[in-house]
Amino acid sequence: MWETIIVDPFTNVLLLIYKLIGGNFGIAIILFTILIRVITHPLMAAQIKSSTKMTQFQQSKQWQDIQKKYKGDKEKLAQEQMNLYKELGISPFASCLPSVIQIPLIFGLYQSIMRALAASPAQLLILSRVVYSFFPISNLVPLNSQFLWMNLGQPERVYMFGYGIPLLAIIVALTTYVQSKVTMPASTNPGDQGAMMNKMMALYMPLLLGYFALTFASGLSIYFITGNLIGIAQYALLGKVNWRAIIPGYKPETTVLARNK
Amino acid sequence: MKTKYLLLIGMALVLVLVLGGCATGLTASSWPGVTADKNNAYVADGPFVYAVNLQTGTEVWRFPAKAATSTPFYATPVLTPDGGQLIVGSFDHKLYSLNPTSGAENWRFEQARDRWIGGVLITADTIYAANADYNLYAISFTGTLKWVTPFTADQAIWGAPVTDGTNVYFGTLGRHVYAVNAQTGREVWVQTVNGAILGSPVLGPTNILYVGTYGGELVALNTGNGQILQQQTTSSWIWTGPALDGSNIYTGDANGKVYAFPMSGTGTAWTQQLNGAIFGSPLVMDTTIIVATESGNIYFIDNTGQNIKSVTLTGKIYASPAAAGTLVLVAPTGGDNTLVALDLTGAIKWSYTAK
Repeated sequence: MWETIIVDPFTNVLLLIYKLIGGNFGIAIILFTILIRVITHPLMAAQIKSSTKMTQFQQSKQWQDIQKKYKGDKEKLAQEQMNLYKELGISPFASCLPSVIQIPLIFGLYQSIMRALAASPAQLLILSRVVYSFFPISNLVPLNSQFLWMNLGQPERVYMFGYGIPLLAIIVALTTYVQSKVTMPASTNPGDQGAMMNKMMALYMPLLLGYFALTFASGLSIYFITGNLIGIAQYALLGKVNWRAIIPGYKPETTVLARNK
Repeated sequence: MKTKYLLLIGMALVLVLVLGGCATGLTASSWPGVTADKNNAYVADGPFVYAVNLQTGTEVWRFPAKAATSTPFYATPVLTPDGGQLIVGSFDHKLYSLNPTSGAENWRFEQARDRWIGGVLITADTIYAANADYNLYAISFTGTLKWVTPFTADQAIWGAPVTDGTNVYFGTLGRHVYAVNAQTGREVWVQTVNGAILGSPVLGPTNILYVGTYGGELVALNTGNGQILQQQTTSSWIWTGPALDGSNIYTGDANGKVYAFPMSGTGTAWTQQLNGAIFGSPLVMDTTIIVATESGNIYFIDNTGQNIKSVTLTGKIYASPAAAGTLVLVAPTGGDNTLVALDLTGAIKWSYTAK
């Protein structure tokens, strides 16, 4: 079911792009990632909008006053929080839902990239059988897995002075960090759990994705880097990129929210 | 708020697990390789290479002693002419020499940069090993590099090379057949065919090299200059090399059709439609052609194309069957057994299941 609805169509679109651009799998991954991001842009925009609203809520004087007032009464605090959400027209899960929808697409994209690379007879067999009949698969296979200095089916290393330097993994970690920082909603509320979580994610995600890039096929790294850069571009398009956030010691300003009346 | 961020962390963890799982699946997926000497059968199947006693069907040893998911073995193991070493490649880019009696590691060759998909070719003094990193390596029996092809082939090499003593021949996924000098690795000729070459070429008796292609052709080439002498079309992809007897060349395709092409002359000697796609090479034993299919069937076909008998095993069969004296060894995938030994009547003599 998952394969038929997501992975198989993704694989075929990826192969179609590969064929149309004359057989460069690296460019095909980049274009396919852009295509997926363009299609899911409305979701992303909705997420950014909700997320901004939520951050403003966290920073608002109203919420900070309520937190102080009901510091010792968690039940009452939660009740007041929900009341304020309602009053300001905020849905607590609205910023989360688009992410939930995007997760399967990320899985599908990754699986289709890995499938198309087919680095063993069994994998080639699977690929051969999922390619739609209108594709002359024997003319397409094997895909040209060379892109710039990389073999997209292998983890990447640049050899200098006898040492293999994982250049792509470094770029993945760096772009992930920059994306996390410049797109992270600014927060002045010291009790903002979301902001704390965002800060943690900004540290862990570059390490995690960097580890993936270090270990897995470099085709995945191309996807990560493209995704990170497009992510920044999408935020920039919506005017939500905060470049000052990468400056050490940067402090955001406090917000006052307008009530939903 | 807390719930929301816990949900996001949960999703990130799922992402980690799924991506990790996918990547692991990528590195550990293929089908077994089987060979035998007079004492044991050797099966490279996932985390282990197993030695199984040919008389009893019991395990003699396994290598390595403990499973390591990073070292999957699927390449067909090959014995040196004196029977003193078993050479097997791994997806971890290393080529291992094992003691066939004990399973102890003699040495490992670590200079290749990609997977060992197919088996190696071993002559009296050299191991010719083709790697998915587009190179052919000539290695001594002590594991030292003699030479590597001074050029890079156009694509990965999945099939074992063959030699006539003068040249070494191999096919690539990039639809090319190469002949290189057996002493130096220098290119002698290169020829383009109509599809990727996934299996090994086979040498005929009269300076002819046969290759099956993913483009659905069996191609005969002149070993002297690479000139294409004949092309026989099949109904679907050919995944492995053909097999020969004195009169015919046998191959099977992914539509389940087995073909006998006469070595002299053109046309088809006979064809048979079998149940299930054919991914392994046919095996010729005396006057019987043994073909295994994905549906789990093993067919015993008389070399005239008549008198077909079949046996069905549990699981699917992708690997080429191997001969061990009068036994036929088959390694199913996803079935009840790791290795099954049958006689030429199709009777199962023993089966071995790795625990």
